[in-house]
Amino acid sequence: MMDRLLRQAAGLGGAALGKLQHTRIPGVGQASTTEPADVAARRWRAVTVFRDDLAGPFPELEALGPDLEVRLQPAPGGRGTELYGRFHGTPGADRIGELRAALRRTKQLAEVGEVLRVDPQPHGTRKPTVQGAALEGAAARAPKEGVL
Amino acid sequence: MKAAIWAGVNEVTVEDVPEPQLLNDHDVLLRIHKTVTCGSDLHLIGGYIPAMRAGDVLGHEFLGTVVEKGKAVQRVQVGDRVVVPSFVACGSCWYCSQELYSLCDNGNPDPGITEGLWGQSPGGCFGYSHAMGGYAGSHAEYMRVPYADVGCFVVPDGVSDTRALFASDSVTTGWTGAHLGGTKPGDVVAVWGAGAVGQMAARAAMLLGAEQVVVIDRLPERLAQVRQHVGAEAVDYSTTDVVAELRERTGGRGPDVCIEAVGMEAHSTGVQGAFDQVKQQLRLQTDRPSAVREAIRACRKGGSVFVLGVFAGPVDKFPLGAMMNKGLTVRGAQQHGQRYVPEILAHMESGALTTEHLATHTMPLSQAAEGYRIFKDKEDGCVRTVFEPGS
Ligand SMILES: NC(=O)c1ccc[n+]([C@@H]2O[C@H](COP(=O)([O-])OP(=O)(O)OC[C@H]3O[C@@H](n4cnc5c(N)ncnc54)[C@H](O)[C@@H]3O)[C@@H](O)[C@H]2O)c1
Ligand SMILES: [Zn+2]
Ligand SMILES: [Zn+2]
Repeated sequence: MMDRLLRQAAGLGGAALGKLQHTRIPGVGQASTTEPADVAARRWRAVTVFRDDLAGPFPELEALGPDLEVRLQPAPGGRGTELYGRFHGTPGADRIGELRAALRRTKQLAEVGEVLRVDPQPHGTRKPTVQGAALEGAAARAPKEGVL
Repeated sequence: MKAAIWAGVNEVTVEDVPEPQLLNDHDVLLRIHKTVTCGSDLHLIGGYIPAMRAGDVLGHEFLGTVVEKGKAVQRVQVGDRVVVPSFVACGSCWYCSQELYSLCDNGNPDPGITEGLWGQSPGGCFGYSHAMGGYAGSHAEYMRVPYADVGCFVVPDGVSDTRALFASDSVTTGWTGAHLGGTKPGDVVAVWGAGAVGQMAARAAMLLGAEQVVVIDRLPERLAQVRQHVGAEAVDYSTTDVVAELRERTGGRGPDVCIEAVGMEAHSTGVQGAFDQVKQQLRLQTDRPSAVREAIRACRKGGSVFVLGVFAGPVDKFPLGAMMNKGLTVRGAQQHGQRYVPEILAHMESGALTTEHLATHTMPLSQAAEGYRIFKDKEDGCVRTVFEPGS
Protein backbone atom coordinates (compact mmCIF):
# COMPACT_ATOMS: atom_id res chain seq x y z
CA MET A 1 0.00 0.00 0.00
CA MET A 2 2.70 2.45 1.09
CA ASP A 3 4.85 1.33 -1.84
CA ARG A 4 2.13 2.08 -4.31
CA LEU A 5 1.54 5.46 -2.73
CA LEU A 6 5.23 6.30 -2.99
CA ARG A 7 5.36 5.19 -6.63
CA GLN A 8 2.38 7.38 -7.39
CA ALA A 9 4.02 10.29 -5.60
CA ALA A 10 7.18 9.86 -7.71
CA GLY A 11 5.06 9.93 -10.85
CA LEU A 12 3.28 13.02 -9.63
CA GLY A 13 6.58 14.73 -8.87
CA GLY A 14 7.74 14.14 -12.42
CA ALA A 15 4.44 15.36 -13.82
CA ALA A 16 4.48 18.46 -11.58
CA LEU A 17 7.87 19.36 -13.00
CA GLY A 18 6.46 18.98 -16.51
CA LYS A 19 3.63 21.33 -15.54
CA LEU A 20 5.93 23.94 -14.05
CA GLN A 21 6.89 25.25 -17.45
CA HIS A 22 3.27 26.04 -18.21
CA THR A 23 2.45 27.60 -14.86
CA ARG A 24 0.74 30.95 -14.87
CA ILE A 25 1.93 32.26 -11.48
CA PRO A 26 3.52 35.65 -12.23
CA GLY A 27 7.28 35.38 -12.12
CA VAL A 28 7.27 31.58 -12.26
CA GLY A 29 7.42 29.39 -15.32
CA GLN A 30 8.43 30.54 -18.75
CA ALA A 31 7.37 32.67 -21.66
CA SER A 32 5.10 30.29 -23.59
CA THR A 33 2.37 30.04 -20.98
CA THR A 34 -0.18 31.03 -23.58
CA GLU A 35 0.79 28.63 -26.33
CA PRO A 36 -1.26 25.50 -27.09
CA ALA A 37 0.78 22.32 -26.44
CA ASP A 38 0.85 21.26 -30.11
CA VAL A 39 2.24 24.63 -31.20
CA ALA A 40 4.93 24.46 -28.49
CA ALA A 41 5.72 20.87 -29.50
CA ARG A 42 6.56 21.88 -33.08
CA ARG A 43 9.16 24.47 -32.07
CA TRP A 44 12.85 23.93 -32.70
CA ARG A 45 14.73 23.08 -29.50
CA ALA A 46 18.24 24.52 -29.39
CA VAL A 47 21.45 24.77 -27.38
CA THR A 48 24.36 27.07 -28.13
CA VAL A 49 27.65 25.21 -28.09
CA PHE A 50 30.71 27.35 -27.36
CA ARG A 51 32.67 26.05 -30.35
CA ASP A 52 33.00 27.76 -33.72
CA ASP A 53 33.96 24.51 -35.46
CA LEU A 54 31.04 22.39 -34.25
CA ALA A 55 30.21 19.67 -36.79
CA GLY A 56 28.49 16.27 -36.74
CA PRO A 57 28.08 13.41 -36.48
CA PHE A 58 26.03 13.74 -33.28
CA PRO A 59 25.39 10.17 -32.10
CA GLU A 60 23.15 11.31 -29.23
CA LEU A 61 20.81 12.99 -31.70
CA GLU A 62 21.06 10.29 -34.36
CA ALA A 63 19.90 7.78 -31.76
CA LEU A 64 16.53 9.55 -31.72
CA GLY A 65 15.77 8.22 -35.21
CA PRO A 66 15.16 9.54 -38.72
CA ASP A 67 12.23 11.74 -37.65
CA LEU A 68 14.61 14.26 -36.14
CA GLU A 69 15.68 17.18 -38.26
CA VAL A 70 18.97 18.82 -37.14
CA ARG A 71 20.52 22.09 -38.24
CA LEU A 72 23.52 24.23 -37.28
CA GLN A 73 24.02 27.97 -37.45
CA PRO A 74 26.81 30.26 -36.21
CA ALA A 75 25.83 32.12 -33.03
CA PRO A 76 26.25 35.91 -33.01
CA GLY A 77 29.01 37.66 -31.08
CA GLY A 78 31.48 34.79 -30.94
CA ARG A 79 29.19 32.64 -28.83
CA GLY A 80 29.90 29.50 -30.84
CA THR A 81 27.38 27.46 -32.83
CA GLU A 82 23.63 27.09 -32.38
CA LEU A 83 22.52 23.46 -32.60
CA TYR A 84 18.83 22.91 -33.37
CA GLY A 85 16.65 19.81 -33.37
CA ARG A 86 12.97 19.28 -34.27
CA PHE A 87 10.84 16.21 -34.87
CA HIS A 88 8.65 15.96 -37.95
CA GLY A 89 4.97 16.12 -37.02
CA THR A 90 3.80 16.78 -33.47
CA PRO A 91 5.87 14.85 -30.91
CA GLY A 92 4.58 14.01 -27.43
CA ALA A 93 6.13 15.28 -24.20
CA ASP A 94 8.32 12.17 -23.81
CA ARG A 95 9.92 12.58 -27.23
CA ILE A 96 10.61 16.26 -26.55
CA GLY A 97 12.13 15.26 -23.22
CA GLU A 98 14.49 12.85 -24.99
CA LEU A 99 15.48 15.61 -27.40
CA ARG A 100 16.21 18.05 -24.58
CA ALA A 101 18.40 15.52 -22.79
CA ALA A 102 20.21 14.58 -26.03
CA LEU A 103 20.91 18.23 -26.90
CA ARG A 104 22.29 18.84 -23.42
CA ARG A 105 24.53 15.76 -23.62
CA THR A 106 25.76 16.73 -27.10
CA LYS A 107 26.67 20.20 -25.85
CA GLN A 108 28.61 18.79 -22.90
CA LEU A 109 30.48 16.30 -25.04
CA ALA A 110 31.50 19.10 -27.42
CA GLU A 111 32.41 21.59 -24.68
CA VAL A 112 34.03 19.43 -21.99
CA GLY A 113 34.49 16.02 -23.57
CA GLU A 114 32.28 14.04 -21.18
CA VAL A 115 28.79 14.07 -19.72
CA LEU A 116 28.67 15.13 -16.08
CA ARG A 117 27.41 12.35 -13.80
CA VAL A 118 25.89 12.79 -10.37
CA ASP A 119 24.75 9.29 -9.37
CA PRO A 120 25.52 7.65 -7.07
CA GLN A 121 26.01 10.30 -4.39
CA PRO A 122 26.66 9.46 -0.74
CA HIS A 123 23.49 9.95 1.25
CA GLY A 124 21.97 9.01 4.57
CA THR A 125 18.61 7.45 5.34
CA ARG A 126 15.96 8.27 2.75
CA LYS A 127 12.76 8.33 4.77
CA PRO A 128 9.91 6.93 2.66
CA THR A 129 7.74 10.05 2.63
CA VAL A 130 5.30 11.09 -0.04
CA GLN A 131 7.01 14.46 -0.43
CA GLY A 132 10.43 12.79 -0.76
CA ALA A 133 9.20 10.35 -3.39
CA ALA A 134 7.65 13.19 -5.37
CA LEU A 135 10.97 15.02 -5.29
CA GLU A 136 12.83 11.90 -6.44
CA GLY A 137 10.43 11.58 -9.35
CA ALA A 138 11.04 15.22 -10.24
CA ALA A 139 14.83 14.86 -9.96
CA ALA A 140 14.83 11.71 -12.10
CA ARG A 141 12.97 13.52 -14.83
CA ALA A 142 14.89 16.78 -14.53
CA PRO A 143 17.48 16.03 -17.27
CA LYS A 144 14.59 15.71 -19.74
CA GLU A 145 12.62 18.66 -18.40
CA GLY A 146 12.96 22.41 -18.51
CA VAL A 147 11.99 24.99 -21.04
CA LEU A 148 14.55 24.08 -23.69
CA MET B 1 32.20 7.53 6.53
CA LYS B 2 30.43 10.03 8.80
CA ALA B 3 28.38 12.83 7.23
CA ALA B 4 25.96 15.52 8.41
CA ILE B 5 22.57 14.95 6.88
CA TRP B 6 19.42 16.97 6.29
CA ALA B 7 16.85 14.61 7.82
CA GLY B 8 13.79 16.85 7.51
CA VAL B 9 12.71 20.42 8.28
CA ASN B 10 14.84 21.70 11.19
CA GLU B 11 16.45 18.27 11.61
CA VAL B 12 20.18 17.70 11.14
CA THR B 13 21.72 14.32 12.02
CA VAL B 14 25.09 12.60 11.64
CA GLU B 15 25.02 9.21 9.95
CA ASP B 16 27.26 6.62 8.36
CA VAL B 17 27.03 6.96 4.59
CA PRO B 18 28.93 5.31 1.69
CA GLU B 19 32.14 7.01 0.58
CA PRO B 20 32.01 9.02 -2.65
CA GLN B 21 33.67 7.74 -5.80
CA LEU B 22 35.17 9.29 -8.92
CA LEU B 23 32.36 9.49 -11.50
CA ASN B 24 33.96 11.58 -14.25
CA ASP B 25 37.51 11.89 -15.62
CA HIS B 26 37.70 15.51 -14.43
CA ASP B 27 36.86 14.61 -10.79
CA VAL B 28 38.97 14.52 -7.67
CA LEU B 29 38.19 13.16 -4.23
CA LEU B 30 39.08 15.29 -1.23
CA ARG B 31 39.64 14.41 2.39
CA ILE B 32 37.87 17.24 4.18
CA HIS B 33 39.77 19.07 6.94
CA LYS B 34 37.31 21.86 7.65
CA THR B 35 33.75 22.48 6.53
CA VAL B 36 31.49 25.22 7.75
CA THR B 37 27.88 26.34 8.25
CA CYS B 38 26.55 29.06 5.92
CA GLY B 39 23.50 31.30 6.13
CA SER B 40 22.32 29.62 2.92
CA ASP B 41 22.05 26.31 4.80
CA LEU B 42 19.52 27.91 7.15
CA HIS B 43 17.16 28.46 4.20
CA LEU B 44 17.49 24.73 3.38
CA ILE B 45 17.22 23.49 6.94
CA GLY B 46 14.16 25.66 7.60
CA GLY B 47 12.44 24.15 4.54
CA TYR B 48 12.32 27.36 2.51
CA ILE B 49 13.95 25.61 -0.46
CA PRO B 50 11.74 22.60 -1.09
CA ALA B 51 14.06 20.47 -3.25
CA MET B 52 15.87 18.80 -0.31
CA ARG B 53 15.46 15.05 0.12
CA ALA B 54 15.82 13.48 3.58
CA GLY B 55 19.32 11.95 3.63
CA ASP B 56 21.05 14.68 1.59
CA VAL B 57 24.56 15.58 2.80
CA LEU B 58 24.85 19.29 3.71
CA GLY B 59 27.78 21.71 3.34
CA HIS B 60 29.33 23.85 0.61
CA GLU B 61 32.16 25.86 2.22
CA PHE B 62 35.20 23.66 2.79
CA LEU B 63 38.91 22.94 2.54
CA GLY B 64 40.62 19.60 2.06
CA THR B 65 43.44 17.53 0.56
CA VAL B 66 43.27 15.75 -2.80
CA VAL B 67 43.43 11.99 -2.22
CA GLU B 68 42.50 10.64 -5.66
CA LYS B 69 42.15 12.13 -9.13
CA GLY B 70 40.49 11.24 -12.42
CA LYS B 71 42.58 10.66 -15.53
CA ALA B 72 41.75 14.00 -17.21
CA VAL B 73 42.84 16.11 -14.21
CA GLN B 74 46.10 17.94 -14.95
CA ARG B 75 46.60 21.03 -12.80
CA VAL B 76 45.74 19.51 -9.43
CA GLN B 77 47.88 16.79 -7.79
CA VAL B 78 47.23 14.19 -5.12
CA GLY B 79 48.39 15.70 -1.82
CA ASP B 80 47.50 19.31 -2.73
CA ARG B 81 45.76 21.31 0.01
CA VAL B 82 42.93 23.04 -1.82
CA VAL B 83 39.99 25.35 -1.33
CA VAL B 84 37.00 25.04 -3.70
CA PRO B 85 34.20 27.53 -4.52
CA SER B 86 30.71 26.20 -3.77
CA PHE B 87 29.53 26.42 -7.38
CA VAL B 88 30.44 23.74 -9.89
CA ALA B 89 31.76 25.17 -13.17
CA CYS B 90 33.15 23.47 -16.28
CA GLY B 91 35.56 26.18 -17.42
CA SER B 92 34.70 25.55 -21.09
CA CYS B 93 31.26 27.02 -21.79
CA TRP B 94 30.54 30.62 -22.85
CA TYR B 95 29.52 31.68 -19.32
CA CYS B 96 32.78 30.34 -17.88
CA SER B 97 34.66 32.20 -20.65
CA GLN B 98 32.97 35.39 -19.37
CA GLU B 99 34.03 34.49 -15.79
CA LEU B 100 30.38 34.17 -14.76
CA TYR B 101 31.15 30.79 -13.23
CA SER B 102 28.00 30.29 -11.16
CA LEU B 103 26.04 30.52 -14.43
CA CYS B 104 27.98 27.63 -16.00
CA ASP B 105 25.91 25.76 -18.58
CA ASN B 106 27.41 22.41 -17.61
CA GLY B 107 27.44 22.60 -13.82
CA ASN B 108 23.96 21.28 -13.04
CA PRO B 109 23.12 17.76 -14.23
CA ASP B 110 19.41 18.32 -13.45
CA PRO B 111 18.69 21.69 -15.09
CA GLY B 112 14.98 20.96 -15.57
CA ILE B 113 13.89 22.09 -12.11
CA THR B 114 15.45 25.56 -12.18
CA GLU B 115 14.72 26.12 -15.88
CA GLY B 116 11.07 25.58 -15.08
CA LEU B 117 11.25 28.01 -12.15
CA TRP B 118 13.35 30.78 -13.64
CA GLY B 119 13.45 30.32 -17.42
CA GLN B 120 17.13 29.34 -17.43
CA SER B 121 19.22 27.13 -15.18
CA PRO B 122 22.19 28.55 -13.25
CA GLY B 123 25.05 26.18 -12.36
CA GLY B 124 25.06 23.54 -9.65
CA CYS B 125 26.12 23.96 -6.01
CA PHE B 126 27.48 21.38 -3.57
CA GLY B 127 25.10 20.26 -0.85
CA TYR B 128 22.34 22.56 -2.03
CA SER B 129 19.32 20.45 -2.96
CA HIS B 130 18.18 18.64 -6.07
CA ALA B 131 17.33 21.94 -7.74
CA MET B 132 21.03 22.84 -7.72
CA GLY B 133 22.36 19.52 -9.01
CA GLY B 134 21.84 17.04 -6.18
CA TYR B 135 25.55 17.00 -5.23
CA ALA B 136 26.50 15.59 -1.84
CA GLY B 137 27.89 18.35 0.36
CA SER B 138 31.13 18.80 2.26
CA HIS B 139 30.03 17.93 5.81
CA ALA B 140 31.64 14.51 5.44
CA GLU B 141 35.03 12.84 5.70
CA TYR B 142 35.41 12.63 1.91
CA MET B 143 33.90 14.50 -0.99
CA ARG B 144 33.86 14.36 -4.78
CA VAL B 145 34.67 17.56 -6.73
CA PRO B 146 33.87 17.57 -10.48
CA TYR B 147 35.84 19.77 -12.95
CA ALA B 148 38.71 19.77 -10.46
CA ASP B 149 41.15 21.74 -12.61
CA VAL B 150 38.66 24.61 -12.69
CA GLY B 151 37.39 24.45 -9.09
CA CYS B 152 40.38 23.46 -6.92
CA PHE B 153 42.82 26.18 -5.82
CA VAL B 154 46.03 25.26 -4.03
CA VAL B 155 46.37 27.17 -0.75
CA PRO B 156 49.76 28.91 -0.30
CA ASP B 157 51.83 27.44 2.54
CA GLY B 158 51.74 30.63 4.57
CA VAL B 159 47.91 30.71 4.78
CA SER B 160 46.29 28.69 7.59
CA ASP B 161 43.40 26.26 7.02
CA THR B 162 41.02 28.46 8.96
CA ARG B 163 41.88 31.60 7.01
CA ALA B 164 41.74 29.89 3.59
CA LEU B 165 38.53 28.02 4.32
CA PHE B 166 36.44 31.15 3.87
CA ALA B 167 37.79 31.68 0.34
CA SER B 168 35.37 28.90 -0.57
CA ASP B 169 32.16 30.86 -0.06
CA SER B 170 31.95 33.80 2.38
CA VAL B 171 34.77 35.89 0.92
CA THR B 172 34.12 34.92 -2.71
CA THR B 173 30.47 35.84 -2.32
CA GLY B 174 31.29 39.17 -0.69
CA TRP B 175 33.86 39.85 -3.40
CA THR B 176 31.33 39.06 -6.12
CA GLY B 177 28.94 41.65 -4.67
CA ALA B 178 31.53 44.37 -4.17
CA HIS B 179 33.11 43.87 -7.60
CA LEU B 180 30.02 43.34 -9.77
CA GLY B 181 28.18 45.99 -7.76
CA GLY B 182 30.70 48.30 -9.41
CA THR B 183 32.65 49.51 -6.35
CA LYS B 184 35.20 52.13 -7.43
CA PRO B 185 37.93 53.98 -5.52
CA GLY B 186 36.33 56.73 -3.45
CA ASP B 187 32.89 55.13 -3.30
CA VAL B 188 30.62 54.91 -0.27
CA VAL B 189 29.36 51.35 0.16
CA ALA B 190 26.59 50.14 2.49
CA VAL B 191 26.15 46.46 3.30
CA TRP B 192 23.00 44.93 4.82
CA GLY B 193 23.78 41.93 7.05
CA ALA B 194 26.89 41.42 9.21
CA GLY B 195 27.08 37.65 8.81
CA ALA B 196 30.24 36.25 7.27
CA VAL B 197 29.03 37.18 3.78
CA GLY B 198 28.19 40.80 4.65
CA GLN B 199 31.43 41.30 6.59
CA MET B 200 33.46 39.97 3.69
CA ALA B 201 31.54 42.10 1.18
CA ALA B 202 32.52 45.11 3.30
CA ARG B 203 36.17 44.05 3.44
CA ALA B 204 36.22 43.40 -0.34
CA ALA B 205 34.76 46.86 -0.96
CA MET B 206 37.56 48.40 1.12
CA LEU B 207 40.23 46.42 -0.77
CA LEU B 208 38.65 47.60 -4.03
CA GLY B 209 39.17 51.20 -2.90
CA ALA B 210 35.90 52.26 -1.24
CA GLU B 211 36.49 55.28 1.00
CA GLN B 212 33.62 54.74 3.45
CA VAL B 213 31.93 51.40 4.21
CA VAL B 214 28.92 51.01 6.53
CA VAL B 215 27.50 47.64 7.64
CA ILE B 216 23.94 47.26 8.98
CA ASP B 217 22.72 44.56 11.39
CA ARG B 218 21.17 44.29 14.84
CA LEU B 219 23.40 41.71 16.55
CA PRO B 220 25.85 43.59 18.80
CA GLU B 221 28.61 40.95 18.62
CA ARG B 222 28.56 41.03 14.81
CA LEU B 223 28.55 44.83 14.72
CA ALA B 224 31.56 44.73 17.08
CA GLN B 225 33.36 42.40 14.64
CA VAL B 226 32.64 44.84 11.82
CA ARG B 227 34.38 47.63 13.72
CA GLN B 228 37.23 45.57 15.08
CA HIS B 229 38.12 43.10 12.33
CA VAL B 230 36.76 44.60 9.13
CA GLY B 231 37.49 48.23 9.95
CA ALA B 232 34.12 49.47 8.68
CA GLU B 233 31.40 51.57 10.33
CA ALA B 234 28.49 49.70 11.95
CA VAL B 235 24.83 50.68 12.23
CA ASP B 236 22.24 48.93 14.44
CA TYR B 237 18.96 48.87 12.54
CA SER B 238 16.98 47.97 15.64
CA THR B 239 17.70 51.34 17.23
CA THR B 240 17.92 53.68 14.25
CA ASP B 241 16.22 54.52 10.95
CA VAL B 242 18.68 53.06 8.46
CA VAL B 243 17.76 55.22 5.45
CA ALA B 244 17.93 58.45 7.49
CA GLU B 245 21.19 57.36 9.13
CA LEU B 246 22.81 56.60 5.77
CA ARG B 247 21.62 59.89 4.32
CA GLU B 248 23.14 61.76 7.24
CA ARG B 249 26.44 59.85 7.01
CA THR B 250 26.80 60.52 3.27
CA GLY B 251 26.21 64.27 2.92
CA GLY B 252 22.60 63.69 1.88
CA ARG B 253 23.51 61.59 -1.20
CA GLY B 254 23.05 57.98 -0.09
CA PRO B 255 25.58 55.21 -0.73
CA ASP B 256 26.99 54.69 -4.24
CA VAL B 257 26.82 50.91 -3.89
CA CYS B 258 24.32 49.02 -1.70
CA ILE B 259 25.00 45.33 -1.08
CA GLU B 260 22.27 43.12 0.36
CA ALA B 261 23.68 40.11 2.28
CA VAL B 262 20.62 39.03 4.26
CA GLY B 263 18.43 36.83 2.07
CA MET B 264 14.92 35.45 2.03
CA GLU B 265 14.47 35.25 5.79
CA ALA B 266 15.19 38.92 6.40
CA HIS B 267 14.02 40.11 9.78
CA SER B 268 11.90 43.24 10.01
CA THR B 269 9.64 44.87 12.47
CA GLY B 270 6.15 46.32 12.43
CA VAL B 271 3.48 45.93 9.80
CA GLN B 272 5.84 45.26 6.91
CA GLY B 273 7.53 42.41 8.79
CA ALA B 274 4.26 40.78 9.82
CA PHE B 275 2.89 41.12 6.30
CA ASP B 276 5.92 39.40 4.77
CA GLN B 277 6.06 36.62 7.31
CA VAL B 278 2.40 35.70 6.96
CA LYS B 279 2.57 35.76 3.16
CA GLN B 280 5.70 33.62 3.20
CA GLN B 281 4.10 31.08 5.48
CA LEU B 282 1.03 30.90 3.26
CA ARG B 283 3.39 30.48 0.28
CA LEU B 284 1.84 33.57 -1.34
CA GLN B 285 5.35 34.91 -1.60
CA THR B 286 8.31 32.64 -1.03
CA ASP B 287 10.72 35.26 0.22
CA ARG B 288 10.93 38.17 2.67
CA PRO B 289 12.74 41.01 0.93
CA SER B 290 12.80 43.81 3.53
CA ALA B 291 16.55 44.57 3.23
CA VAL B 292 16.32 44.78 -0.58
CA ARG B 293 13.50 47.32 -0.30
CA GLU B 294 15.51 49.38 2.17
CA ALA B 295 18.64 49.26 -0.02
CA ILE B 296 16.72 50.58 -3.02
CA ARG B 297 15.31 53.39 -0.94
CA ALA B 298 18.69 54.34 0.55
CA CYS B 299 20.78 54.14 -2.62
CA ARG B 300 21.96 57.39 -4.24
CA LYS B 301 20.53 58.37 -7.65
CA GLY B 302 22.20 56.39 -10.41
CA GLY B 303 23.79 54.05 -7.86
CA SER B 304 23.82 50.29 -7.75
CA VAL B 305 22.13 47.66 -5.59
CA PHE B 306 23.58 44.17 -5.51
CA VAL B 307 21.55 41.24 -4.13
CA LEU B 308 23.79 38.56 -2.63
CA GLY B 309 21.21 37.12 -0.24
CA VAL B 310 19.52 34.02 -1.61
CA PHE B 311 15.96 34.34 -2.92
CA ALA B 312 13.97 31.66 -4.71
CA GLY B 313 10.68 33.05 -5.95
CA PRO B 314 8.48 36.13 -6.36
CA VAL B 315 8.39 38.90 -3.77
CA ASP B 316 5.84 41.57 -2.97
CA LYS B 317 6.12 45.34 -2.76
CA PHE B 318 9.28 45.54 -4.83
CA PRO B 319 9.88 49.32 -5.17
CA LEU B 320 10.03 49.37 -8.94
CA GLY B 321 9.16 53.05 -9.12
CA ALA B 322 12.12 54.08 -6.96
CA MET B 323 14.40 51.83 -8.96
CA MET B 324 13.29 53.25 -12.30
CA ASN B 325 13.05 56.92 -11.41
CA LYS B 326 16.33 56.99 -9.48
CA GLY B 327 18.09 55.32 -12.40
CA LEU B 328 19.43 52.44 -10.31
CA THR B 329 21.29 49.37 -11.49
CA VAL B 330 19.97 46.32 -9.66
CA ARG B 331 21.98 43.16 -10.01
CA GLY B 332 22.39 39.85 -8.23
CA ALA B 333 24.36 36.63 -8.48
CA GLN B 334 25.42 33.47 -6.86
CA GLN B 335 29.15 33.78 -6.29
CA HIS B 336 31.51 33.52 -9.26
CA GLY B 337 34.19 32.07 -6.99
CA GLN B 338 36.60 30.69 -9.59
CA ARG B 339 37.14 34.26 -10.82
CA TYR B 340 38.13 35.69 -7.44
CA VAL B 341 39.85 32.95 -5.41
CA PRO B 342 43.41 33.63 -6.73
CA GLU B 343 43.11 37.34 -5.84
CA ILE B 344 41.58 36.49 -2.46
CA LEU B 345 44.31 33.99 -1.56
CA ALA B 346 46.93 36.62 -2.46
CA HIS B 347 45.28 39.12 -0.08
CA MET B 348 45.11 36.41 2.60
CA GLU B 349 48.81 35.70 2.16
CA SER B 350 49.75 39.38 2.41
CA GLY B 351 47.64 39.76 5.56
CA ALA B 352 45.30 42.35 4.02
CA LEU B 353 42.41 39.94 4.38
CA THR B 354 41.86 37.99 7.60
CA THR B 355 38.92 35.72 8.34
CA GLU B 356 39.83 33.82 11.51
CA HIS B 357 37.39 35.84 13.60
CA LEU B 358 34.47 34.37 11.61
CA ALA B 359 35.23 30.89 12.98
CA THR B 360 33.64 31.61 16.35
CA HIS B 361 32.93 27.92 17.06
CA THR B 362 34.87 24.79 16.05
CA MET B 363 33.72 21.25 16.78
CA PRO B 364 33.93 17.67 15.50
CA LEU B 365 31.48 16.74 12.74
CA SER B 366 29.68 14.42 15.16
CA GLN B 367 28.27 17.57 16.81
CA ALA B 368 26.78 18.99 13.60
CA ALA B 369 23.24 19.20 14.98
CA GLU B 370 24.42 21.27 17.94
CA GLY B 371 26.66 23.36 15.66
CA TYR B 372 23.72 24.28 13.44
CA ARG B 373 21.49 25.01 16.40
CA ILE B 374 23.96 27.51 17.82
CA PHE B 375 24.47 29.06 14.38
CA LYS B 376 20.77 29.34 13.67
CA ASP B 377 19.94 30.85 17.05
CA LYS B 378 23.02 33.12 16.82
CA GLU B 379 23.79 31.86 20.31
CA ASP B 380 27.02 32.72 22.10
CA GLY B 381 28.01 35.19 19.38
CA CYS B 382 28.12 32.47 16.72
CA VAL B 383 28.99 33.73 13.22
CA ARG B 384 30.14 30.44 11.67
CA THR B 385 30.48 26.92 13.11
CA VAL B 386 33.47 25.05 11.67
CA PHE B 387 33.29 21.23 11.66
CA GLU B 388 36.38 19.05 11.58
CA PRO B 389 35.46 15.63 10.20
CA GLY B 390 38.89 14.25 11.09
CA SER B 391 38.72 15.04 14.82
N1 LIG C 1 25.07 34.73 -3.58
C1 LIG C 1 25.77 33.71 -3.08
O1 LIG C 1 26.53 33.05 -3.79
C2 LIG C 1 25.68 33.42 -1.63
C3 LIG C 1 26.68 32.66 -1.00
C4 LIG C 1 26.61 32.49 0.39
C5 LIG C 1 25.55 33.01 1.08
N2 LIG C 1 24.57 33.71 0.43
C6 LIG C 1 23.44 34.30 1.12
O2 LIG C 1 23.86 35.48 1.76
C7 LIG C 1 23.00 35.73 2.88
C8 LIG C 1 23.86 35.99 4.10
O3 LIG C 1 24.64 34.83 4.41
P1 LIG C 1 25.36 34.69 5.83
O4 LIG C 1 26.02 33.38 5.82
O5 LIG C 1 26.16 35.89 6.13
O6 LIG C 1 24.06 34.60 6.75
P2 LIG C 1 23.80 34.84 8.31
O7 LIG C 1 22.49 34.24 8.59
O8 LIG C 1 24.98 34.43 9.13
O9 LIG C 1 23.72 36.44 8.41
C9 LIG C 1 22.61 37.19 7.99
C10 LIG C 1 22.61 38.47 8.82
O10 LIG C 1 21.58 39.34 8.33
C11 LIG C 1 21.06 40.05 9.47
N3 LIG C 1 19.75 40.61 9.12
C12 LIG C 1 18.52 40.02 9.15
N4 LIG C 1 17.58 40.90 8.74
C13 LIG C 1 18.21 42.05 8.44
C14 LIG C 1 17.77 43.33 7.98
N5 LIG C 1 16.49 43.54 7.72
N6 LIG C 1 18.70 44.30 7.78
C15 LIG C 1 20.04 44.07 8.01
N7 LIG C 1 20.50 42.88 8.48
C16 LIG C 1 19.60 41.89 8.68
C17 LIG C 1 21.03 39.00 10.54
O11 LIG C 1 20.97 39.57 11.85
C18 LIG C 1 22.35 38.25 10.29
O12 LIG C 1 23.42 38.77 11.03
C19 LIG C 1 22.10 34.51 2.99
O13 LIG C 1 20.87 34.76 2.34
C20 LIG C 1 22.84 33.46 2.21
O14 LIG C 1 21.96 32.50 1.68
C21 LIG C 1 24.64 33.92 -0.91
ZN1 LIG D 1 27.05 29.59 1.29
ZN1 LIG E 1 30.95 26.32 -17.78
